[in-house]
Amino acid sequence: MTANNTIPSRNGDAPGAAALRPTSDNPESMLDLRQEVAELARTLPGDLRRIRVRGGDREIEVEWADQVRTLESVVDQRTTAHPGGTGHLTTAVSPPIVDDAFTEVRAPLVGCYYAAPSPGAEPFVRVDDEVEAGTTVAIIEAMKLMNPIVAGESGVVAEVLVSNGESVEYDQILLRLRRKEQAA
Amino acid sequence: MIRKLLIANRGEIAVRIARTCREMGIEVVAVHSSADRDSEVVRLADIAVNIGPPAPRRSYLNIPNIVEAALQTGADAIHPGYGFLSEDPDFAEICESAGLTFIGPPPSVMQDMGNKATARGLMQQAGLPMLPGVVEPVRSVGDGQEIAADIGYPVIIKAAAGGGGRGMSVVHSAADFSEAFVSTREVARAIFNDPAVYVERYLAGARHVEVQVLCDQYGNGVFLGERDCSLQRRHQKLLEEAPAAHMTVAQREHLGALAVRGALSVGYTGAGTMEFLVDGSGEPYFMEMNARIQVEHPVTEMLTGIDLIREQILIAEGLPLAFGQQDVRCSGAAIECRINAEDPARGFAPTPGRLDVYRAPAGPWTRLDTGYREGDQVSPHYDSLLAKLIVWAPTRDQALSRMDRALAEMAVDGPGLSTTVTLHRALLRHPDIRADRHDVQFLDREMPSLLASAAEIHQQGPRVPSLTADVVCAVPAPAEPIRLRGITPRHTIEEVTPA
Repeated sequence: MTANNTIPSRNGDAPGAAALRPTSDNPESMLDLRQEVAELARTLPGDLRRIRVRGGDREIEVEWADQVRTLESVVDQRTTAHPGGTGHLTTAVSPPIVDDAFTEVRAPLVGCYYAAPSPGAEPFVRVDDEVEAGTTVAIIEAMKLMNPIVAGESGVVAEVLVSNGESVEYDQILLRLRRKEQAA
Repeated sequence: MIRKLLIANRGEIAVRIARTCREMGIEVVAVHSSADRDSEVVRLADIAVNIGPPAPRRSYLNIPNIVEAALQTGADAIHPGYGFLSEDPDFAEICESAGLTFIGPPPSVMQDMGNKATARGLMQQAGLPMLPGVVEPVRSVGDGQEIAADIGYPVIIKAAAGGGGRGMSVVHSAADFSEAFVSTREVARAIFNDPAVYVERYLAGARHVEVQVLCDQYGNGVFLGERDCSLQRRHQKLLEEAPAAHMTVAQREHLGALAVRGALSVGYTGAGTMEFLVDGSGEPYFMEMNARIQVEHPVTEMLTGIDLIREQILIAEGLPLAFGQQDVRCSGAAIECRINAEDPARGFAPTPGRLDVYRAPAGPWTRLDTGYREGDQVSPHYDSLLAKLIVWAPTRDQALSRMDRALAEMAVDGPGLSTTVTLHRALLRHPDIRADRHDVQFLDREMPSLLASAAEIHQQGPRVPSLTADVVCAVPAPAEPIRLRGITPRHTIEEVTPA
């Protein structure tokens, strides 16, 4: 890993960056923005060094401290979990599910999957948890940016197909959700 | 030491790079879009990673996903191929800062060579011959007209950031200058996001001759002969050959030396190509440098026996060149035909679709580089290059006959699919091409008659007479043997005498 920890998110290419945007409809309100940033700093995992917020094109850049210990320990976990290397990436795409009682949450980008906001913390979701559309169900770390992955619709977690610290490719199925109507 | 290499490309060049990696014992990571998940390179690779949806902007140009794929798979190097990110200095820099070896020149050199005006300025300083014209971008119509009057008409207006044959116009008289200037700037702004244009003398009847160079990180450089790529349709190459047999041995050696001098003067490393226009008397004029592996590199590989991808990788690893100029031997003649999924009769419109029939030619000195297999879909998202057919023979005439034989063996068919195969067979039969006296405008000028000839070949089907001795006898043999630096050709004269 290198000294430079800052990779700005590109418009449109990093869905996670979009998800990190302040939700306030009133960008003039500095107070709102301050609260949003403070909240962001509190919820982001790892040791933060800097958060830069730009108004114009609405961009948030997060810089983590060098040698992110917390992440390293997770990465180590990954390598031991997959001693055969990273060949599992090839078999990542599961056959589509015909049963429309289920819906999937897929990886929108290539990166490292984390089930919890920080090592040792409770996972975002477990099997049988209920989620709403917009609930954060995982994080994918890419280019040192933590990208929250949110459920597209509401449902009950039926299956988690990826383990913590595993590499994921674009479009890989992370979770299966049982649709609400069926669950009720 | 590179142990695992990620190929940031698709199609034939990804397969080409994977093959050399295999031969060198380097593990291959293929990245692919959702449209390419069953492609040939994915099958050949040790690891494959889906990096995005079919649109190139979201997959093959998606820098975060590509770099992340390299880091997640433990790759230590990235080969960008050609096109896509191959000439993006930002990508090269991001790779380096992520600890990945980028197979290519340093980002700063790539940046300089990527801007035609900057490249021209640097090459002029290095003493390379330039067409009369200006190096600096021309700011106004008035300035441009003054310059054009100074260097004399016809002139060509070129986009400084141009490439791929787009963003250039030829102006024959002062009356047309203003309109052409404004429209070229508009095109340059629209396509390249940079309206800067420059003006230089336009050479009629010129040939496109380019020199393949290899430079290591220690200031050593060699040239691997040259390639003639004069057969272009609207500045898109269709057929390339080597050597440029219309030039004398002395002229070719001089050109090679100029190319190496130019490349070393800017600190170039790896494989690169210096493009020149050569006039009727063999005088060269520098055009531009391509800071990457080129589509037509196999022509040089066939001529020299040197694997250019292997050399790129060894140079990127920091090894010095293992051979000097005196060790580079060019023998015989090589030709490449680009087999595109395009309909020449409909303005070369791309014809994507399924390859129901796709059979490769084979046989002596016949090479087919492709990323497709029978049954594959040719996606409308990517360029239309299906395959590159390359042949080698001791003489140019024999190579032309061999190419025609190989083209006849090639079978490509599918619903709505057209290719450039019969157009190539028409080209090989044209007296100007057989006599090696065509120029860079030849294709655009002769297209109607070539299309008629191609249609005839198509109708005749298997009854097309092969290209043999009668045509060969009509063309005088080259005055000089094809070789460099007085090295004896590997093949004896007896072998090359036509029947």
